[in-house]
Amino acid sequence: MPNPYVHQYAFFFDASACSGCKACQGACKDKHDLPVGVLWRRVYEVAGGGWKKEGGVWVPDVFSYYLSMACHHCADPICGDGCPTKAITKRDDGIVILDTQACIGCRYCEWACPYGAAQFDAAKRIMTKCDFCYDDIDEGKPPACVVACPMRALDFGELPDLKKKYGGTAEIFPLPDAGITEPSLLIKPHRDARRAGKDTAEVANWEEI
Amino acid sequence: MSGTGGKEWPLIFFTLLSQTAVGAFWTWAAFFLAMGNTGNREEFGFLTIPVLTAIGGALGLAAAISFFHLGKLWRAVFVLNNLRRSWLSREILFELAFLFMIALLGFLEWRGVGPSFVIAGLVALAAVTGFCFLFSMAKIYMLTTVPVWRGPHTIASFFLSALLLGPLAAAAGQGSLYKYSDRTHSFQDIAAFISLSAIILIVLTILFLTPRVGFFGIRKATLLEYPVDRMYPYLVFRILFLGAATLFLVAFHKKQEIGRLINIALASAVAAEALGRRLFYAIYSRVGV
Repeated sequence: MPNPYVHQYAFFFDASACSGCKACQGACKDKHDLPVGVLWRRVYEVAGGGWKKEGGVWVPDVFSYYLSMACHHCADPICGDGCPTKAITKRDDGIVILDTQACIGCRYCEWACPYGAAQFDAAKRIMTKCDFCYDDIDEGKPPACVVACPMRALDFGELPDLKKKYGGTAEIFPLPDAGITEPSLLIKPHRDARRAGKDTAEVANWEEI
Repeated sequence: MSGTGGKEWPLIFFTLLSQTAVGAFWTWAAFFLAMGNTGNREEFGFLTIPVLTAIGGALGLAAAISFFHLGKLWRAVFVLNNLRRSWLSREILFELAFLFMIALLGFLEWRGVGPSFVIAGLVALAAVTGFCFLFSMAKIYMLTTVPVWRGPHTIASFFLSALLLGPLAAAAGQGSLYKYSDRTHSFQDIAAFISLSAIILIVLTILFLTPRVGFFGIRKATLLEYPVDRMYPYLVFRILFLGAATLFLVAFHKKQEIGRLINIALASAVAAEALGRRLFYAIYSRVGV
């Protein structure tokens, strides 16, 4: 049963602490027994920079940081808006869940979600997504990704509580305007995140995600 | 994230067949309504059953093909569950409504029942339902998170394709029927004129509204842009096929030759629009990751 006192669960991610070890990604995959090609939590490596001239010498001037992203259980889940079978719904505690028995595998949610949360399971021919480990949450336990992080870069809780505890933003490169879906996500940005938004930066590990 | 992964051919066939069916119905309906209760209507009326059968068949085939892009076929019965928010649900609703009206009209004509004003009303209502079907089909793609699709070019392309392919298919279909009769060519002439106008409008849409390369197309589409180079082969071949369709249509108009030229024009137009649809999916690029 969803916790009646919680209205919107959310994730907090500390980009300045993340080492990119992907323990969160692995723990999620293990807990939910996800097949090859399906990642409910993905660790993006953002990289940029180049060379700069210091005096008479060219020196490397590069940066990179990691973003651990899952479904952000948006206040206005755009994935659910388009779903023709209403397979994607929001629980009373704000967790966005996908009913695999109702999904027809049209993949329309995959087109719409700006966070790549909706993942197609080619073997089952349906969409899947992060469910915030609601089975654990309902028993008062934390999600698998949060437990697994050795750097304590991930946390979860009710959105207002996390805001009070950490502050943070949901808009750093390459994430979209948070106004589109109002993600339940708070990020403590890496020091180079501001630079990534201005300079040429890119996701450097598309092959892995 | 860019590109839809190249698994959209069932959707392309579904869209083209549906556009053709709706466009052909509009062409036929315009003639049917314009003729009113004149004697010409009686002469034209022999077309009704074959035209409605062909349109209904095309719609049925389109629906069957669209199932191939679904992961779970048998769950398709649930697609009307989200009419309040999903344009995909609405598209299926209007498709079913359009198909039903085509079947109803066919039945009434076959049995020869129903006063002419009721038939005319049903024809007009079916034409509007076809419009709603195409409109909801276009709206499916106008996602907030996909700026390259969220623009007037999407709506324009869905309707112009229908106005290009539908009249041509109707004219080609009529040509095959006329082989067995000595009726006049006026229907084919006007259908060819509508298609020619649609080609001009499609070329203008490409020139002015295509994302990134059109004069007024969306410029800064997403953070992670799609490669513009990907567009050019599709655009070039699409324009070549549209040019070919134009030439055959003009040649048809001059020679008044029934059949072959209009069929080749239709084939060229189908190739052009199939490339257009493929390009549409190729430029998919959403905001975020």
